[in-house]
Amino acid sequence: MSDPVTATEKSSDNPILWVAKPMVTAARQFAKSLVRPSTVIYPYERLEDPKFRDQVRIESGKPIGVGPIWDNYRGVHALNIATCISCNLCAFSCPDLCIEMVTVPGGDPKHPKKCPQIDYGKCSYCGFCSDACPEGCLTMTTRYELSVTKRSEMVYSPQKMFGIYEQKLPMHPIRVERPANEDQILLEPPLCIGCNACARDCPTQCITMLDIPKPEAKAGEKVPKRIWKEPVVNDSDCVRCGTCINVCPKECLFWGNRK
Amino acid sequence: MSSATLYSVSYFLVNYVLTHIGSVLPAPLNAWITNGDLVTGLAVLVFGAILLGASMINTIVLIWWERKLLGRFMDRRGAMHVGYAGLLQNFADGFKLFRKNTFRPREADWLGFFSGPTAYLVTSFVIFGILPISSGWNSGVLPLSLLLALAIFSFAPLFIFVSAWSSNNKYSLMGGMRSAAQMIAYEVPLLLAVVAVVIVSGSFDLTTIVYEQQNYWFWGPLFLALVVFVAGMLAEMERIPFDLPEAEAELVEGWNTEYGGMLFAFFMLADYLRALVGSILVVLLFLGGWTMPTWVPSAATSFPLAGIFWFMVKTYLVFGLFVWIRASLPRVRTDQLLRVGWNRMIPLSLCAVFLAAALVLAKCVWPFGCLPSMGV
Ligand code: SF4
Ligand code: SF4
Ligand code: SF4
Repeated sequence: MSDPVTATEKSSDNPILWVAKPMVTAARQFAKSLVRPSTVIYPYERLEDPKFRDQVRIESGKPIGVGPIWDNYRGVHALNIATCISCNLCAFSCPDLCIEMVTVPGGDPKHPKKCPQIDYGKCSYCGFCSDACPEGCLTMTTRYELSVTKRSEMVYSPQKMFGIYEQKLPMHPIRVERPANEDQILLEPPLCIGCNACARDCPTQCITMLDIPKPEAKAGEKVPKRIWKEPVVNDSDCVRCGTCINVCPKECLFWGNRK
Repeated sequence: MSSATLYSVSYFLVNYVLTHIGSVLPAPLNAWITNGDLVTGLAVLVFGAILLGASMINTIVLIWWERKLLGRFMDRRGAMHVGYAGLLQNFADGFKLFRKNTFRPREADWLGFFSGPTAYLVTSFVIFGILPISSGWNSGVLPLSLLLALAIFSFAPLFIFVSAWSSNNKYSLMGGMRSAAQMIAYEVPLLLAVVAVVIVSGSFDLTTIVYEQQNYWFWGPLFLALVVFVAGMLAEMERIPFDLPEAEAELVEGWNTEYGGMLFAFFMLADYLRALVGSILVVLLFLGGWTMPTWVPSAATSFPLAGIFWFMVKTYLVFGLFVWIRASLPRVRTDQLLRVGWNRMIPLSLCAVFLAAALVLAKCVWPFGCLPSMGV
């Protein structure tokens, strides 16, 4: 009995139990599945049927997440074009770079309105974009039937996603709470020339150009040539899109924390 | 239970058809067509065709039965869409395999590669000519039918090994080696368990063995022999937990790795044919064959073809047991398999033989009752 394998087997369970236990388990599983197997017979039955709503549960007996599991499903996006502020945050946050901002009718000619267009050939349904959307206008629905015959049909234009929005499928607008000490837009005053670019392009119109006093000319120095205004950001309206930083010609806006 | 045997039915059919064809033909042709030798020859062919068709259909339905049961064991539904509850799915699968190209690896041996699966399938079929399915199934007494069935049953390792070796693939060869080792190891306890039944019933004839079970079915007093027999059958049929010869995780597909299309279908069919034969043998030897206990109301056993009906019910239930085992137990290692075979199964089967001898000496055993007097 020097065979180590034999030794460990000797110390393990009774061989009768070794056979009987799994067989009892399998029989119990069999009996359970006679009532109803876990399978959803897809084309005939659908998960969105109300009868499945509360069926998928975790061990503790509580549904996963908040409410029925279906409310957490991440399917095709719905976009409410009317409330989209063209902030670009969805495209920023997409890890697969599948969002492109395309022009939709409705903006003024100088500042065309841009809304996300999603390529589902690349999308991984991570949901980061709808998490990031400050307006809650880009959400994910329960639609999962996406098969198409052409690659180009996989690209959903904003209008198409608006159509999905109008179907009022179950959606879950996720508004992520702001962290308490999030970075804000700060200004480096000596560099600012008061050009108004940031206030013009801010999607939430939260930048106001306030007058500042024009300094007196000192001896031997010239007063700089600029507009005597400076941007003031209404922090509670700012959605952190970074547009102002991008458009600033003097690079005087930056992320920082004053608190 | 009808008194007509399967052969007499086919003889009647052939005779009927030939007489009617002959009656419209001119005299010399008529005499030639209704001559006795032709009728007998054709009747044998029809007999074979009926058996072939019946065993084929049963085998395919058996695969469906396994898929459905296994699905339920795994919390699924199994085949669903083709036919009622997926009943026709396996016919469709078989048809697909039938249409496929049959190919052979370049270095494989031509003769062995093609003759292996064919012989494997044919020998599995032949057993059906011997097994009695109901009373009066066989025309005459076959005094050694049990031995003959088991002898044909044990041809398999040879053909498996031939086809494995001639595939010229290392996985096939390893699978074939394992298969041979396993089947030879389990042949011994299997036959010893059968010896226990033979001792109690006093006959090698399957029909007699069934009639010897009129007082009690042998599974009760010979439970040890039943356990050994089922374990040995599992190994012979190469089903999980003894499916080492085709362990997918290690050997791709074992000894039929190189086979595709219809040749693969041959192996698949023969495997399930052997599973069917195994279940039928368990029913014949231990579960009273087509007979039912006396407490069953006679209405349930006296309708036409009741014998065949109850026989098939028992066979499918026994196969259900095999599926249950498959769904529960993991595959064993080769050394465990052989150790269990030689060290455990053979002593157990010897114990079963001694128990059987004691049973014959004691004649009557509580709570089962007495052996019928017609034996020994
Ligand atoms: S779900 Fe994720 S991958 Fe898809 S568009 Fe949104 S951010 Fe990009
Ligand atoms: S994040 Fe929302 S508001 Fe901003 S562009 Fe995307 S969809 Fe529009
Ligand atoms: S980051 Fe700049 S442009 Fe964007 S909302 Fe805030 S202030 Fe406006």
